[in-house]
Order: sequence, then C-alpha cells, then structure tokens
Amino acid sequence: MNDQSEGVMEKVWNIFSSMKTGVFLLGVVAVVSGIGTLIPQEALDPKGAQSVSAIWKTLGFTHLYATIWFRLVLGLLCVNLIVCSVQRFSGIYRKTFKPNPPQSSKAIPQKIQAKISGPESELRAAVMKVLTGKGYRLTTSEQEGRWSFIAQKRRWGNWGSLLTHLAFVVLILGALVGSMIGFKGYFMAGVGDTLPIKQIEVSKGNVNENFSMKINSAEDRKLANGERDNWYTDMSIIESGKEVARQTLSVNHPFTYQGVTFYQANFAQGGKFTVDLKGQKIPVVLQDQGGNYFQVPGTDLYLFLSAMKADPKAPVVLYQVYQGNSPIKMGQMSLGQADNIDNTFTLTFDGMAGYTGLQVKKDPGVNVVWLGCALLMLGLILSFYWRPHTLSGIIETKKESSLLLGAVRGRLAVGTQEEFNQAVTDVEGLITAGSAGS
Amino acid sequence: MNETLNNIEVAMFYLMIIAYLLSTVMYWLTLVSKKVWLEHLATGITILGLAGNTVALIVRTIIAQRPPLSNGYEFILTFCWGIVAVYLFAEFRYKIKALGSFVMPLPFLLLTFIIMKMGPEERVASAIPPALKSQWLTFHVITAMLAYGAFAISFGLGVMYLLKSRSDDENGKSNAKGWISRFPASQILDELAYKIIGFAFPLLTLCIITGAIWANYAWGTYWSWDPKETWSLITWIIYAAYLHVRLMYGWKGKKAAWMEVFGFLAVLFTFFGVNYLLPGLHSYA
Ligand code: HEM
Repeated sequence: MNDQSEGVMEKVWNIFSSMKTGVFLLGVVAVVSGIGTLIPQEALDPKGAQSVSAIWKTLGFTHLYATIWFRLVLGLLCVNLIVCSVQRFSGIYRKTFKPNPPQSSKAIPQKIQAKISGPESELRAAVMKVLTGKGYRLTTSEQEGRWSFIAQKRRWGNWGSLLTHLAFVVLILGALVGSMIGFKGYFMAGVGDTLPIKQIEVSKGNVNENFSMKINSAEDRKLANGERDNWYTDMSIIESGKEVARQTLSVNHPFTYQGVTFYQANFAQGGKFTVDLKGQKIPVVLQDQGGNYFQVPGTDLYLFLSAMKADPKAPVVLYQVYQGNSPIKMGQMSLGQADNIDNTFTLTFDGMAGYTGLQVKKDPGVNVVWLGCALLMLGLILSFYWRPHTLSGIIETKKESSLLLGAVRGRLAVGTQEEFNQAVTDVEGLITAGSAGS
Repeated sequence: MNETLNNIEVAMFYLMIIAYLLSTVMYWLTLVSKKVWLEHLATGITILGLAGNTVALIVRTIIAQRPPLSNGYEFILTFCWGIVAVYLFAEFRYKIKALGSFVMPLPFLLLTFIIMKMGPEERVASAIPPALKSQWLTFHVITAMLAYGAFAISFGLGVMYLLKSRSDDENGKSNAKGWISRFPASQILDELAYKIIGFAFPLLTLCIITGAIWANYAWGTYWSWDPKETWSLITWIIYAAYLHVRLMYGWKGKKAAWMEVFGFLAVLFTFFGVNYLLPGLHSYA
C-alpha cells in the first residue's frame, strides 16, 4: 500500500514538474482571459453583465477573473512552477558553482568541436590566456596524462529562467493577498467636510481603520491656455480630534497614510450654504447635480443642489427642497442671497466649493506584486541579455599532443559557433606565434 | 508659429508614407534584381522615412508640449518608428536585405490606416486628461514601441522562413531557386527570429509592468482586466509559449515560424482589434 501511494505521489510530482503541464496551464489562462474580453464582466460593465443569461452568470462567466476556477488554474500554475524550480535547483546550482571539467574526450560537446595541435604546455598557456582574456572563468583538473578544463562566461545567466518562474509565483501570491485582505472604497466630500473612514462606500473588503478625513480644499485648476491642469485636494487625517497628517493630492499623485492610499479620481462643483434654523447656523456643502443632500435636523425636509452656473465671479445656484418624497420648493439664488423656506429655516448661498471624489484603497499585497515584477525583470534580463557560454577542453597526452575543444550549444547555435570559432582562431594564433618564435 | 509647425508635421507625415511605400517597392525590386545600387537606394529611402518619422514626432511633442503618446494617431506614428528603427538596426547588424520586403509594408499599411480610418479630429494634438500626465506612461509607450517593433521584425523573419524552408531537403540543405535562394539559410532565419523575440519579450514584460504601475498611481488598481490589458497578457503568454515549446518539443523551424506570425497578429489585435472590435475601457489608446 505504501508502494502504491508512493507511486501515486510520484505520478503527481511528475505531472507538476512537467513543462508540458505548465504550457497547458498557461494556454488555459490565455483562453479564459480571452473569453472574458468577449463577455461583459460585472467589474467593468455591470449593465452589460446584467443582460447575460442567468445560466452563464451562475457558471461565473460574468466575473470570470474572480471565479474559484480561474484562481484554481493560477494556483496550479504556481504549484507547477514551484515543483519545477525545486527539481531544477540543484542542477543549476552545480552547473553554475561546481562545474565539472571533462573526464574524457567523450565528455566534450560534439556539435561544436575543434582540435588544435601543439606542445602541451603551450596549448595550456594559450587556451588559459585567450579564455580569461575573453572573460571566462576556468576550472581545471589535472591527472595522470590528462589535463582538462571547463570555462564559463556570464554564469549567472543560468539562473534566469528559475528566477523568472519564482518571480511569477511571488507576483501571483501578492495579487492573491491583495484580493483577500485589504479594502477598496470611494467617497465624495465637499470642502470643510470631515468624514470617518468607516463611513466610505466600500466595494470590497472591510475597513478596520479608525481615523477621519478632512477636506481642506478642493480645486479644479486650469492652465493659462484654458486646458485642465489637474484636480487638487488638500486633505488632513484626523485621529482622536488631532490632525496627524496633511497633504495635497492630485490625479497620478496619490497620498498614503498607514497603508491606506487616497487617489484623486473625480471632481465636481458644489455650493457652500448656511442653513439658519431658528438662530442655529449650520454650514452645508452640496454637490452640483444633486450628488448629495442635507436633511434639516428635526424635520423631514431635504435640501438638494440641482444645478449651478460655476462662474467664479457670479455663481448662480438652483436648489430644491423635498418633504419626504415630494418636492415642495425650488429656487434660484445668486451669491450672498438668502431665501426663507417653509417658514422653518433660511438658506444663504455663500459661494462655490469644490467637491472631490477620492478612491480609497488598502492593498497590503501591492508591494509583493512590485517585488515579483522586479524579480521577473531581473530573471528575464538574465535569461535573454546575459546568456551564459560554456566551453570545455581536454589534452590527453597519452594519445597525442593536441587540445580537443568544444562548446555547449545553448539556445543560439549560430552565435555560439561564431564565438567558439573566434576563440579557436585566437588560440591557434598564439600557438603558431609561439612556435614561430622558438 | 503653431501654424508652421502643423504644416511641417503634415509634410513629414506625407514624406513618411511616400518613403515607406517607395522603400517597400525598392526592396521588392531587389528580390528580383541583384543590383547593389537598388539595395542601397532602398535602405537610403528607409532612413529618409525614419528621419521624417522622427521629425514628425518631435514637432508633435513641441506642439502638444508633452510626449507624443496620447492618442491613436500618435501611437501609430510611434509604432512605425519602432518598427523601422529596429528594422534598420537588424539590417545593419545582420545584413539581411530581403527582410525589408516583408517588414517595410507594415509601417506603410499602418500609415494608410490613419489616412483611411482617422478623421482630422482624431489626429489633432488635443488636451489630455490629468490621468495621462505621468512619467510612467512615457516608459510604457517607449517599451511598447521597441517590443512591438521587434515583434514585427520576427514576423518578417517568420514569413521568410516559411518561404525559404519549402525548398529545404531533409538535411536542411536548401534547393531554392530564384529570389528565395538569396535569403539566408533557414537555420539563420529561425535563430535570428528567436534572438529578436528574446530581445523583445523582456521589453513587453516591462511595458505591461510600467502600465500597471501607472494605473496604480492613477486609479489605485494595477490590473483591472480591461480588454486591452487582457490582450497584452494573451500576447505575452503566446510569446512565453513560443519560448517554451522551442525548448520542450524543439519547436524550431516551421512551427516556430508560424508562432512568430501568430504572435504578431496578436500584437496587432491588441493594438487595433481591441479598440475597433471589442467593447472596452482603455479608451485612451
Ligand atoms: C508564467 C509564465 C512563465 C514564464 C514567464 C516563463 C519564462 C521562462 C523563460 C523566460 C525561460 C527561458 C527560455 C529561454 O531561455 O528561451 C523559461 C524556461 C523554462 N520554463 Fe518557463 N516560464 C513560465 C512558466 C513555466 C511553467 C508553468 C513551467 C512548467 C514547469 C515552465 C518550465 C520551464 C522550463 C523547464 C524551462 C527550461 C529551462 C532551461 O532549459 O534552461 N515555465 N521559462
């Protein structure tokens, strides 16, 4: 029974260490990803996804990239890459750090090979001089009647593909961590508003932080030529009543506080008002186009800003008041004007106010993802821009006084052959020069 | 002043399109005629076209006061620049003149696409939304330009391989006659295509990564599976598969050449198909 389970284990191991499995899984990721661009996805196109028939929705086709199936494929790919890397590690280690000089002429690579005749000591000196001159590091072995070496250049290139593979695993793990812990949310707030982070609209995860955000200013800045420069929000973080951080952010220039990052995502105009409720003055900021409302305390009156003309010199607003669900009053005001409403309160229009929309995100995995990306680039650079070259050679004095030289072909046969021929020519040059001199 | 610059840009655009058309024709002529001066002329006209392309991009940068990387028209000019620059590099480095016959039609067709499909309003140097004002976008587009340019070259080499290898015998000896006989040996074509994909693959990876970094600064999401992102991932997987099957099954030669052709079709789909055939979000490009 033990034997049997070992047999099964071995089979599973073989499947996971196979590059065929890996390429197959990559193919599955590609095909599934492609299908996801043809069917509307909830995250990108909620309306389109609604119209897809129920059966496809149940099967997950409208949120393909978040399905357990898709994650399972990515997980298998990671297992595949880890198993494959474990299997290859010691081989690559030995090849790089414990290279073995050939023990006989049979061990010299045959496809790229050359023989150079000459006196043994000269051959040795020449080959060592030429190869070290070209940046190779040599490992030699000397035994009764035999001298051999193995020479490597850019040996770190051997680690390229292994590093690439592990980097990909790191990247996927980072993405997974980010999707499981952390949160994503959004809020809009006007100048002067203070909002506890727990109250933002959360689309993913849970907020455990306890600070508040205060919007000091929000501005839609234009360049001299009238084009938009950027949207700017000056915000403070308030913790137990005290300001603990303050920064101006804009699109492409986010602000991070304790792992929570705020991104400028949106901007709207708004108006500043004062509600005078029997002597109690309440400042109110309302967003243009009815983006938010204000409930007058102790009543069922709701105040909206339905439209405004955002002329900085002479702004005009159109407000609306609802009682419960029914509109009861609508009015137009210019700067400084006041209206009495329903004999309950007076409303004064104090000026324009920016209304800023911020995306809020906490993703503890994102740095892991960047680490994965950096390792991925390093691995690829080693694989493709730092290709190793390996030469080996042997002199067997028992047979004849000549050097048999060969090169490991690697991925680029033509290029390796050229590099090899150059080395052979250089060695031969030294030998004939030496012989001519003596 | 802007008027003059605009006129220069338009002139350069026509210089480019004429130069790329002429050089295509010249390269085709060199296939049938062995005249050396024809080859030199073809290369010369290509260099002239690249010069025009460069000036057009510089002028656009001056007009728009930003890198010329923000709408479809500007992307195509940059894409053409990448193809022709990598092509000229390959021509000088590897001395494969016939390659021009298969590569130079690409920039010409891309420019023709602009004339046929893009109205003047799509070509003007327009204001860009704040999200596009990022250094990362510049890196993103430059790496895309080089990677896509190199993939275009591997496409050309793949096509040449497929033509050449039809007349190879079992031992890989070529019995080609006529113009194909002057192509380099099929093994050289195959290996060069691999080498160029090896140059481009890390760049494509960097392109995707810089895009993710930029998206993270702008929107707080490094990957949102929008169709353009997804298709760049698919392209990346196709080339990764190419690298693996080469090792795994020793897929060199014909199969590899077909993958070089398909890989580039995926590049083109990412570039155009996503915008014109799929509903999408990546509305800037
Ligand atoms: C995430 C996707 C992957 C990427 C980006 C990737 C990248 C690479 C790269 C760049 C190379 C070097 C290729 C060359 O030098 O031509 C390579 C080789 C290799 N890959 Fe992958 N790989 C991926 C997935 C996999 C998977 C899933 C397996 C399966 C176990 C795998 C197994 C191998 C093996 C065995 C080699 C050969 C190394 C050698 O012979 O030196 N790869 N990979």
